[in-house]
Amino acid sequence: MSHEYIPEIATDREGNKHEVQGWQDDFYGGKLGFWLFMFTEVMMFGAMFLVLTYYNTLHHEDFLLASSHLNRWLGGTNTVILLVSALTMGLSLLKMRAGDIKGSKLMIWATILLALIFLTIKGVEWTEEYERGVFLLHGELLASSSMPFGEKLFYGMYFTMTGIHGVHIIIGIGLMVWLIKRINAGLVTPEHHILHWNIALYWDIVHLIWVFVFPYFYMIGAGDVVAGGHHG
Amino acid sequence: MDKIQYERERKLYYKVLFGLLFMTALTFIQPHIYVAGTFVSQMVIAVIKAWMILMFYMHLKGDKLIGAMGAFSLALVLVFFIIVIAVDVTNFQFGAESYITSAPHAN
Amino acid sequence: MSKTYFDETHTAIGHPKSTFMQWMLTIDHKRIGLMYAAVMFTFFFVAVATAFLMRLELLAPGQQYIDGDTFNQAFTLHGVIMIFLFIVPGIPAIFGNIVMPLMIGAKDVSFPRLNWFTFWLYILGCIIALASLFTDSGFADTGWTFYAPYSLTTDTNVIFTLVAAFVLGMASILTGLNFLVTIHRLRAPGMTFFKMPLFVWGIYATAWIQLLATPVVGITLILAMLEKFFGIGIFDPAKGGDPVLFEHLFWIYSHPAVYLMILPAFGIMSEIIPTFSRKEIFGYRTIALSSASIAGIGYLVWGHHLYTSGMADLAKTVFSFLTFFVAIPTGIKFYDWIATMYGGKIVLSTPMLWALGTIITFTIGGLTGVTIAMIGVDIHLQDTYYTVAHFHYAMLGGVVFLLFAGMHYWFPLVTGKMYDEKKAKIAFYMNFVGFNLLWFPMFIAGYLGMPRRYFDYLPEFQIYHQASFVGAVIFISGLVYMFYVLIQGWRQGEPSGTNPWHATTLEWHMPSSPPPLENHSKVPYVDFDPYEYKNGEPVVKFDYETMKRID
Repeated sequence: MSHEYIPEIATDREGNKHEVQGWQDDFYGGKLGFWLFMFTEVMMFGAMFLVLTYYNTLHHEDFLLASSHLNRWLGGTNTVILLVSALTMGLSLLKMRAGDIKGSKLMIWATILLALIFLTIKGVEWTEEYERGVFLLHGELLASSSMPFGEKLFYGMYFTMTGIHGVHIIIGIGLMVWLIKRINAGLVTPEHHILHWNIALYWDIVHLIWVFVFPYFYMIGAGDVVAGGHHG
Repeated sequence: MDKIQYERERKLYYKVLFGLLFMTALTFIQPHIYVAGTFVSQMVIAVIKAWMILMFYMHLKGDKLIGAMGAFSLALVLVFFIIVIAVDVTNFQFGAESYITSAPHAN
Repeated sequence: MSKTYFDETHTAIGHPKSTFMQWMLTIDHKRIGLMYAAVMFTFFFVAVATAFLMRLELLAPGQQYIDGDTFNQAFTLHGVIMIFLFIVPGIPAIFGNIVMPLMIGAKDVSFPRLNWFTFWLYILGCIIALASLFTDSGFADTGWTFYAPYSLTTDTNVIFTLVAAFVLGMASILTGLNFLVTIHRLRAPGMTFFKMPLFVWGIYATAWIQLLATPVVGITLILAMLEKFFGIGIFDPAKGGDPVLFEHLFWIYSHPAVYLMILPAFGIMSEIIPTFSRKEIFGYRTIALSSASIAGIGYLVWGHHLYTSGMADLAKTVFSFLTFFVAIPTGIKFYDWIATMYGGKIVLSTPMLWALGTIITFTIGGLTGVTIAMIGVDIHLQDTYYTVAHFHYAMLGGVVFLLFAGMHYWFPLVTGKMYDEKKAKIAFYMNFVGFNLLWFPMFIAGYLGMPRRYFDYLPEFQIYHQASFVGAVIFISGLVYMFYVLIQGWRQGEPSGTNPWHATTLEWHMPSSPPPLENHSKVPYVDFDPYEYKNGEPVVKFDYETMKRID
């Protein structure tokens, strides 16, 4: 592909030679491009945090109350699972760079497994909510129910944000499977691993978003709701 | 990549892992030891975790260009997504007349 | 005869033999820019026709040709096409692609295959947007701004348009991303940021807005869809949701979007003015930094679209102040351009005519924007024809006029031919006169109370609509004639040579006209400023085979 690229040389008026950066074989360019793409993800989730901040300020007590009803232990388990998966993904990249291709693929499979467990637990959580009568277009979240506005909005955003985050996890799993195929085809190697680097970065961003989603939804109501009150 | 560098990076990854696990544990302990400031404390813990992930897992430490771009994007999100909206909404002038803040369900 | 980029190309996959497949699969930035132009101008004329239909209906009070609901769909269609399909991709898609890599001495953008993918993503967005014209529920009738709660409850097909806007937004983001990496990584050796041409600065600032602002509207559209189909409640007052929140989220993108439109246009102005004044640009650094500051401050002014929505007084005041403030860097640019012309040897070729015409029309557009930045004044003028005239003077008389200027300026570069100068000048005057006759009466009508998006009106406003209609006829004739002149120029014009304007920037130092596939024969070392003129002539001269300086 681009492995045979030979950079051009430009000569200045004193006769000094300067290597020209071409678009081929530009590792830093590939990194930079992917980071820029991740900034768009930051803006996207940032706008959703904006919506949350708005309604949190308008209906603070309701938010704390709704938060306290979420299953903190399932959420916390998921946090630890995602955390470990970030480690396994990072290790897979490290092993690839060090030449241990087999170990690298093993770590990717470990990451995929952890991601699947995350999604399963999320499914269990959502089922729990559904059985409590709290789900989109269902029970308490219908306009006709008597649940206070703040709680309805909290749960609306809860399903939205954890849902969209979940979609990103599924995309991540897809990317990792594709990565393994590319490694098997010899297109991702210890010398040319920009794809692996970027997918590891992607997984870190998915984790990063959860680092903020988790406390904002699950933990703000953890203090005694009455005492936590206005300072929350 | 030589063996020494490999070991160094591997150890760093595990150090960060334990740091993150510790902060996660703090997340759960905080409401019991410092009840009053839960929201702010939780966000501070989250920021510390994010910092560790960005610097070490995502190799941002030492990368000036991407770091500067990230700081710019973050500033945008923080300044006017969070702060401006929070300031605007706390000065909400029509609370008494607006349905969404004064209806029986509004709380 | 050496080969040009029309004779050979690189493709995304395979080695197609047919010319058609070579165009469909090309990853060459020059061809991709041309394809964007062809598609965008086709849709441009569809939207112009829709506007003409509205002007026809509004020629007299009462209903003549279409009913009120159809009228609502017409202005929505006009807005959606003009904004999402034409002016947002706009100058970056065409000249950002064709010219920017040439200006920095690169062989292509950083991710040519992504560029190819992005073009087809854009086409997909266009198809989805227009597909709703053919569904039972018909095109959306909400206005291009899709305000909640109407957009969530109307029976017309809003969902297709929302999905289309999302896909088109994705294309915009990827273009911005590609250009940002290109400008950071592929500048010729020696070309620091402050040796880049100002058009590249314009594209750079624009790319930041494309990258960071567009995701906000992307997620807003997704949230609107989630609200419509899953009832998440954030825009639904029955669940405590606030429709004004939609407006805020929408304008947090859509205001920076207008800077995304104008910054590349200002970049074109900064290229044309020095070339046709035969003089170095005045205040290079200030113009460069003003582009960056407009991009930055432009993120903070969105509230001026919502003065009448019930915002806190404190917020309104802050937004008003910042809106005034962001006009300053623009003003600085105008002063710098005029200072460049002062003492220069002005050449009144067609590109210069368009540029000078824009100085007039954009000044009007910009200043009328500042008037409605005043909160008290805006209470009276919000959603009247004054606003409509303001943004058409700014977008059409600013962005599109400069796009036309760029088309005439870079025409010899892209095609290797020259158009008929006399006819092109006539086309300019037709456009300029028609444009002003079409839009200026609307300032007065708006001030006197004519509301926008209204299908009918009181008889006292008829005179303004009649004047606008005459202006529309002249303007549309001018547009058609201008395209005729350019197309004729391409088909039968005289060969132009590589640098007919004797300009200084790198895109004019090509070994052949049109340029070859791989752009410059060798990447030059850049130890000169972009606009070095001495006694009206460029200082820097190149041997085009070795790209070494011979001055």
